[in-house]
Amino acid sequence: MLKSIGILLIAAAIAWFEVPSLLEKKHKKELLAFSIFLTIGVALSIVLAFGKTLPSPMELLTFLFTLLTDLMAPLL
Amino acid sequence: MIENVKINPYQFLVLVIFFTIGTGILIVPSVLAAEVKHDAWIAAIFGTGIGLLIIWLFTTIGQWFPHLTYIQINEKIFGKWIGKAVSVLFVSMAALYTSSLLYYSATFISTNMLPTTPMAALNILMMGIVVMAVRLGLETIARSAEIFIVFFFVLFLILGMCISSQIKFENLQPVFAEGTITLVQSSLYFVASSSVNAIVLLMIFPALMNKMKQARKSFFIGNLIGGIMIILLSFLSVSVLGAEDTAREIYPGYELAKRINIGDFVQRIEGLMGLLWFIALYFKTVLYFYATVLGIAQILHLKDYRPLTLPLGMIAVIVSLVIYPNVVYQKEIQQSTEVFFSLFVGLFLPLLLVIVYAFRKNTLKKSPEPESP
Repeated sequence: MLKSIGILLIAAAIAWFEVPSLLEKKHKKELLAFSIFLTIGVALSIVLAFGKTLPSPMELLTFLFTLLTDLMAPLL
Repeated sequence: MIENVKINPYQFLVLVIFFTIGTGILIVPSVLAAEVKHDAWIAAIFGTGIGLLIIWLFTTIGQWFPHLTYIQINEKIFGKWIGKAVSVLFVSMAALYTSSLLYYSATFISTNMLPTTPMAALNILMMGIVVMAVRLGLETIARSAEIFIVFFFVLFLILGMCISSQIKFENLQPVFAEGTITLVQSSLYFVASSSVNAIVLLMIFPALMNKMKQARKSFFIGNLIGGIMIILLSFLSVSVLGAEDTAREIYPGYELAKRINIGDFVQRIEGLMGLLWFIALYFKTVLYFYATVLGIAQILHLKDYRPLTLPLGMIAVIVSLVIYPNVVYQKEIQQSTEVFFSLFVGLFLPLLLVIVYAFRKNTLKKSPEPESP
């Protein structure tokens, strides 16, 4: 619990640091991209902070490349 | 549009040197020695040679569109949507390797210097300075690289000179015990990590250079100098530690620095030599992260990439905590999946781009040039 509050505080600090200048310049698209990435980051780190294990992105890649080599094997 | 700075060929040369050495200086000697034993240094020579061919491909692509970055070239040649898909693959590669290098630096520090510090703390510290560098822009990165390259070469010279008294040529014999084909195959990991991944430099190479011709030359020379340094390091590791020990160590270069002994007085200076690895890893991480952030900004057509640095840095830290559960998994993956992924993004897609460009050359020439980035 304490960890996730800390993460939210950090996220708030990042938002406080970036958002005012973006609003001032009226960069809507940048603001959207910024908030999407920040949300992903916060969500992932809270999941991690609660002690859940996230799958490694390498697992997905290994799966995809095994599939690719299996598909290509008959052709070679 | 996004970056108005231009860097000169010498600064680019320095960046290429750091990029080529980057992870290579940490782990390549051990990977090579595990496969071809005492011929590791010969495999490194083959690797450098193949690497130069790949760099030739990249510079050729860069020369066709001197004002565009790789993302914009993709979009121009493959069309809007396929181009964006290719760019997303490219950016995901750069993002993945940012996290991967963060993991390397954190494990390096935690195994050798700070064993009880949690990895998250080391990752956040490293990412903090990486984010800082990327926010300050390419010119700052290039200028600091210019300063650090001096330290880097001096430390490398000290390491080489101090350890050279312990070279045992018996460790290298018999030379060329493995066949040429085995040597070429085993250098694949080295080629993938230092030359094929240099595709991320296409984000800065044609667009943000002020002298195109010389920049092309410095791409080659930088890759060559980096390759020579890795050849030297593999040679030293194998001849001083022996092939079996080199293969067993995770960081053979660091083990070399531990063995420096001048008259029983100057000993255990590996803490100082650790700077070599920090500097090289740091600049490679910065270049990967810069390519990620600039790439995403250009895919989405944003006006400024700086707002994205902090959230992406946060994601990179999290991914680096979960990317490799342990070192055995890392060693396994880095020689199978990572090599395939690098070859797919760094060699297959550029070759596809060359083929499509050959077909679409005439239609592209008629359309007017877009404004420079």
